[in-house]
Amino acid sequence: MISEETARLLNAYLDGELDPVNGREFEAQLAASAELRAALESMRGQSAAIRAVADYHVAPESLRARIGAAAQPVERVRGVRARWWRGAAALALVALASVALTLWFVRPGADRELTADLLASHVRATLDQRLYDVASSDQHTVKPWLSARLPYSPPVNDFSGHGFDLLGARVDFVGGRQVAVLVYKRRQHVVDVFLWPDPTPAPRRTLTREGFNVESLSRDGMRFFLVSDLNRNELGDLARLLAAHAAAP
Amino acid sequence: MLPHLDAAYNLARWLTRNDHDAEDVAQEAMLRAYRFVDGLRGEPRPWLLAIVRNACFSWLQANRPAELAAAVDAEAADAPDLSDGPEALAARDGDRRMLNEAIAALPPQFREVLVLRELEDLAYKDIARIVGVPIGTVMSRLSRARRLLADSARVIARAANAGVHE
Repeated sequence: MISEETARLLNAYLDGELDPVNGREFEAQLAASAELRAALESMRGQSAAIRAVADYHVAPESLRARIGAAAQPVERVRGVRARWWRGAAALALVALASVALTLWFVRPGADRELTADLLASHVRATLDQRLYDVASSDQHTVKPWLSARLPYSPPVNDFSGHGFDLLGARVDFVGGRQVAVLVYKRRQHVVDVFLWPDPTPAPRRTLTREGFNVESLSRDGMRFFLVSDLNRNELGDLARLLAAHAAAP
Repeated sequence: MLPHLDAAYNLARWLTRNDHDAEDVAQEAMLRAYRFVDGLRGEPRPWLLAIVRNACFSWLQANRPAELAAAVDAEAADAPDLSDGPEALAARDGDRRMLNEAIAALPPQFREVLVLRELEDLAYKDIARIVGVPIGTVMSRLSRARRLLADSARVIARAANAGVHE
C-alpha cells in the first residue's frame, strides 16, 4: 500500500519536480521498495502513452483568422463610443500592445518557443509514424505538392548522392505560420527540415534540446531549421548542402 | 498571442469537450488577452492559459455545473491505493480512442492538470499559476488524476477482455 503522500512524491519525482535533497531521499525509498519502483514504471508508461497518443487539439484555421480579424474591431468600437481623446488613447494602447507583441517575437523567448514548436512537430510526427503527407523521393513530385499547399514554393532537393535520402514532405503549423517540412533519412535517423520565407538573414546556429540537435540557417530569403537525433556533424553536412542548393531551381 | 493559440484551443477543447464551445471559449479568452496584454508579467503562455482556463471554468459553471460538483466528490474520495500498480497504457492505435475517452471522462479539475502537464509539458509552478492553487495542490491533483486514469484504463481493459466493450 502506497500512502497518499508517497504517491504525491512519486508524481513529483516522475515530473522532475523534486529538489535535489528530496530527490535523493526519494531515490533511497525507491531503492528499498520494489512496489514503489513498479508503480513508478507503470506511471512512466502511462505518461509516455498520453504524450504519444492523446489528442492535441490544434486550433482550426477559421478560429485563427477570426481572432486575427476581431482583435482590431474590438478596439475600434470602443474608440467610437468614447470621446475622441479616449479613442486616441485606445489607439495608443493598441500601438503599444503591437510593439510589445513584436518584442516577444524577436526576443530570445520567441526563439525558445519556436524551437519548442519545432521539436514538438518533429516528435509528434515521429511518434505518430506520420512523418510525411506526401511520400516521394522525387523532388519533382514533392515540390509541386508543397507549392499547392503553401503561399510559397520551397526549394526541394534530393541529396541521396550525399547519403541523405528524401522520404517526403508534410505541411505543419509552427511559430504561428504554415511551413513546409522536408523529411530526409540518414541511416536510421529521420531529419525534419522546416523552411519558410524570411527576408531577415539570421546567422547559422546549432543547439541541442532534449537530445535532439537543431540547426538553423537562412539563405536567399528562406529560413531553414533542421531537427533530428542525428549527430551534429552529419546534421551540419545537410545544413551546408541545403545552403548550397537553396537558390537552385 | 497567436503563437499560443494552439495551446489555448487545446486546453479549451479538453475542458469543454466539444469543438464548437472550445472555439467560442478560446476566442473570447484570446480577445480578452489582447485587451489586457499590458498586464502581462512573465511568460506569455501560462499567462494566456490562465485566462483560457478561467473562461472554461466560467463556461462549465454556466453550462455543466454537474461536472464541477462531481469533481469535488472525487477530491474527497479515499486515498489512492497504488499497490496493485496501474497498468501502463500501450501506445497502440486501438488504444488511442480509449485513452482519449478516459482523459475526457476525468473530472475537470483533474483533467486540466493532466492536460497542462502531459500535453503542454508545463512545470508545476506554471500549472499552479494557471489553475490558481498552491503547488502542493497541483501535486495532489496530478497524482489523483493519473490514478483515476489508470483505474479507468483498467476497467475498460477488463470490459474489453470480457467482450463487453466492443
